Amino acid sequence: MTNFIDYLLGGFSNGAVIALMALALVLVWRSTRMVNFAQVGQAMFTTYVALTIQQETGNWLLALVVAVGAGAVLGVIVFFLVIRPVKNSDSTGAIIATFGVLIALQAGAGMIWGGDPQGFIPPVDNAGLEFAGRIWPISLYDILVLSVTAALVIGLTLLFTKTSLGLSMRASAFNPEVARLSGVRVNRMLISGWAIAGATGAIGGVLIAPVSTISPNSFDILLVFAFTAAVIGGLDSLIGAVTFGIGTGLVISLVSGYSDSGNAPIIALVLLALNLLLKPDGVFGHHGARSV
Amino acid sequence: MLETVDLCVSYGAVKALSGMNLTVPRGEVTAVIGANGAGKSTLMRTLAGLVTPQSGQVLFNGRSIAGNKPEDIVRNGLALVPEGRSTIPELTVEENLRLGGLWRDRSDRGASKNLVFDLFPILGERASMRADTLSGGERQQLAIGRALMSDPKCLLLDEPSLGLAPLIVTQILELVSRLAAETNLAVLLVEQNAVTALRVATTGVVLNLGEVVKSGPAHEISSDEELRHAYLGY
Repeated sequence: MTNFIDYLLGGFSNGAVIALMALALVLVWRSTRMVNFAQVGQAMFTTYVALTIQQETGNWLLALVVAVGAGAVLGVIVFFLVIRPVKNSDSTGAIIATFGVLIALQAGAGMIWGGDPQGFIPPVDNAGLEFAGRIWPISLYDILVLSVTAALVIGLTLLFTKTSLGLSMRASAFNPEVARLSGVRVNRMLISGWAIAGATGAIGGVLIAPVSTISPNSFDILLVFAFTAAVIGGLDSLIGAVTFGIGTGLVISLVSGYSDSGNAPIIALVLLALNLLLKPDGVFGHHGARSV
Repeated sequence: MLETVDLCVSYGAVKALSGMNLTVPRGEVTAVIGANGAGKSTLMRTLAGLVTPQSGQVLFNGRSIAGNKPEDIVRNGLALVPEGRSTIPELTVEENLRLGGLWRDRSDRGASKNLVFDLFPILGERASMRADTLSGGERQQLAIGRALMSDPKCLLLDEPSLGLAPLIVTQILELVSRLAAETNLAVLLVEQNAVTALRVATTGVVLNLGEVVKSGPAHEISSDEELRHAYLGY
């Protein structure tokens, strides 16, 4: 039982990062109705940018802020350079093109920063906290990760529910034609979606880097988990992405604890397959939300 | 106010509108009637900027707007209530309304909102509910309300009777007609349901296969039996 609780607790911060990546996938889906498989590549790239800043200045917060900005810009660049030209003629082609972007980003990062895994120094201690006479599988850094994630989710929720930009973005996602007829500049909303997704993914990347290491391919596995969480959550639901992102983190932690961490991706894919068989609209999705 | 000059629209080889001339004056309802496929929806979509005409002009306040983007056209004061369920069901009633005039000053928006709530009090009562909980008639009121939030000088209504009980349609259209007279709003109403449309309209225009076959005072058109048999099917 103690093991079970430890494994569960240990999964939260990992789950939070998966939730952020899943959120990024959902944000892109809501604006463009496509899955951006380059999302983790973009996050990897901006995490290298953050790593460089941190190595130069030693300032973690500055590194995070620059990564967020770079993430937003990179999202917009990918959208304009690749997605928009391809998507006009072929929607499936655009999704495949995101794989191309992923590979290009990985190659680019390898050329700039080299292929060897590098460590990312956490801003606060990453050792398990001692409390009530034992060491718990939660560190100060885990608490920071969870706090940043919670703040971001609250911020995004407020953005979408309370602001004009958020309302325009939701309307553009649900019904672009009615949005345009209401005076919303839908194209700009779409670009905003890619920018916010890029920034969200960038935060996820910077947060996970100290726990794993960073190399051009180190986030690939994150894509599997984030995609699973986003799809099970319904692909267009922010709350679904967060819930199942954290849920996926917990499942991974339990599977890794009781068997082997190598089994986690397989379990994730099994869950994905079960979801598609039993509840193809996703748990939080609207009916038909996922059909293009 | 709103005028089309020799407006031609085709979808590939199919001509949907061939040389349409139409004038929509302020302060009254102009009804375009005709059977399915007469080109009514094409006309509305072209006026709102969703379809670009092959040739001809759309003049709004004397300025040519054909080929402008829909979001610019509505910001200039020409608002379309499209056919069918044109509300966004996932948003609340209040959000649907707010969406209609996001670019405007907050105080102007407030004034428009009060006007909409006066016109359709049910929307005020249901403001915080999701639009998909509304009945068909309430949803049509919401769609018109959203268009009014843009403070239009000209309102385009595409087939508002679709799927609604005749009594409700008449009620809604009479409200719109009164609004047109009171606020000097130009209204272009497109309908398959000719009886209801001609009852609230001042001018009627009969459209068939993309061409105007007849236009004149609404009461004259509704009493022209030959016209009714030939084009309106009743």
